[in-house]
Amino acid sequence: MLRTFINILIRPGAFFSGLMGEKEESFKWPLVILLAGGIAAAGYGYLLGGSTAQMMSDAVPGIGMIITLGSVVGAVIGVFIFWIIWTAVVFALSMAFKGDGSFKRTLQVIGYGYLPQVIGSVITLIAAIEYVPKIVVPKITSAMMQDPAAMQQVMTGLMRDPAMVELTQITTLITIVFLLWSANIWIFGLQHARKLSSRDAALCVGIPVVLYILYMIYSLGVS
Amino acid sequence: MKINRIFTGIALLLLMSMTVCVVSGETYSLLYEDPVTGTYYTGKVFVSNTTFDPVVFFTGDKGTVTYLVTNGNANTSVKLNHITFYDRDLQLLSQNFDTTITLGPLQTRPFTFSILADAPEGDYYPTFSASFYDSNLNHKTLVQIDNTPVELTVVDQPDAFMQGKKKTINMQVANPRKNNVRNVILEVSGAGITASPSRTFVGDLAAGAKTPVNFSVTPDQETTLNLHLTYDNGNNPHEVTMNIPITFGVDKKQADPVMSNIQVTSVGTTYRVTGDVTNAGLETANAVMVTALPPAVPEDPYKTYVVQALKPDDFGSFEITFTTDGKATSVPVQVSFKDSDGNIYTSAQNVTVPDGRLAAVKDDGPPLIPIIAALVIVAVFVGGWFFYLRKKKQ
Repeated sequence: MLRTFINILIRPGAFFSGLMGEKEESFKWPLVILLAGGIAAAGYGYLLGGSTAQMMSDAVPGIGMIITLGSVVGAVIGVFIFWIIWTAVVFALSMAFKGDGSFKRTLQVIGYGYLPQVIGSVITLIAAIEYVPKIVVPKITSAMMQDPAAMQQVMTGLMRDPAMVELTQITTLITIVFLLWSANIWIFGLQHARKLSSRDAALCVGIPVVLYILYMIYSLGVS
Repeated sequence: MKINRIFTGIALLLLMSMTVCVVSGETYSLLYEDPVTGTYYTGKVFVSNTTFDPVVFFTGDKGTVTYLVTNGNANTSVKLNHITFYDRDLQLLSQNFDTTITLGPLQTRPFTFSILADAPEGDYYPTFSASFYDSNLNHKTLVQIDNTPVELTVVDQPDAFMQGKKKTINMQVANPRKNNVRNVILEVSGAGITASPSRTFVGDLAAGAKTPVNFSVTPDQETTLNLHLTYDNGNNPHEVTMNIPITFGVDKKQADPVMSNIQVTSVGTTYRVTGDVTNAGLETANAVMVTALPPAVPEDPYKTYVVQALKPDDFGSFEITFTTDGKATSVPVQVSFKDSDGNIYTSAQNVTVPDGRLAAVKDDGPPLIPIIAALVIVAVFVGGWFFYLRKKKQ
């Protein structure tokens, strides 16, 4: 298993060459990887959701649990939703390059390629454990609930808390690094799954990844 | 012989005329002897009252003495000749009465002399004298010379003064003399001092009486406060002076509001600071107010909290709300109060606040370093793949 993971991370070309020899697509390890990523994301969501719950607790008693639970479940489910959507995007793009291969196979390689992001999620979780306690969470009162502008101001206040800003910046950089690592794996995976040239596979993966990263950088700048 | 007859005739005529007057029932006559009792009429002429103004003299005072001479005869006039005032120590400034003055029956007439009490303290008995046709009226009255001045005493004053701060000094003006004094005026002055009132008119002060005189002073520098009390004893001006050193320092009894039990919470993007203010001084702190100072920006609903008056050892709770620039880690919270003279005293205590609050006013621009780092990472990745594909193509 360890060797499999190391091959995915370091020698994705060789790993996917061997994988394409299998007749049936196995989703065992992709699902394990995604679940691991979902758990790490859930931990991160639990910490940040706790801050949001703390912010809302005075205004709506009992909402804290809902927000926390929603953050955890949403993080786990979100990983799987991302998996499917991302596969669909890449698959659709590869169609423009006359890719040949099943959606399941693409789904499988995208799942394997998610492995670096699991590592990234664990690192961001550690960063969150370090930074979230430093965040000063503003309180939202019942009166503020009637004033969207005040709510917006409070949310902005939370997002601009120095600890939150630092955490966001760290998280973004880590996400970018590990997303690119995943992109590298996806290129090799898509190359085999959809029988594309390296160039075409790089374009199919690189375009959405770079766009997504540019959006993240943009968000970092305006937050 | 003829001459003897002439004199005898004149004497008879005089005797007859006098007899005629008595018989004709005249109301009064110039006779000095009661024909019935044989007593002299002058025995019923007396000094009915003596008035000294002032009642008690200072050495060197000028004044008057008025003798009221009453003719107690019901139907006889008397003639007063050469009315004089005499004493070895009290100097007569006016003239004696050298003319003959007729005093009708039951009449009273004042005789006033101006005198100078040019003598040391003590009791004196000047003589009033009036000469009659056949006798003299001598009258002695006690007059005192007492140099005891009006007393000016400090009842209460601050332990120390502060530059530009108004402080009240409570004085008392007392009259230990046996007579009233008039036109008592207290003047307050000094270099660099604003006194209010600088001149107080007390008016008349009865013997043994006392009256409070309060005034406030606002010193701009350390100096000496000059108190100048003037009053009139009769028409003679007198004065008492007193100096009070004005030195700056800390009033040991001054109110001293101290904040405690400080708790900082954030509501929305606003900080909410609650706590207690306790008066650790010995005087009442009036109009105690709490507010936040820059870099904090006081915000509604509690930009400033008025705790109201705090007596010594009393405490009151406060609550203030403010925002910061998002960078401040501590905010000075100011407590102000007024003393009984209306002076405003302020003190500030730093309150630690979590930094980063109030993002609404924080705008440092986009974080360039993370953005550049991200772009570099992307460029490396894209460049690396571009280089890999080109190499592979070759």
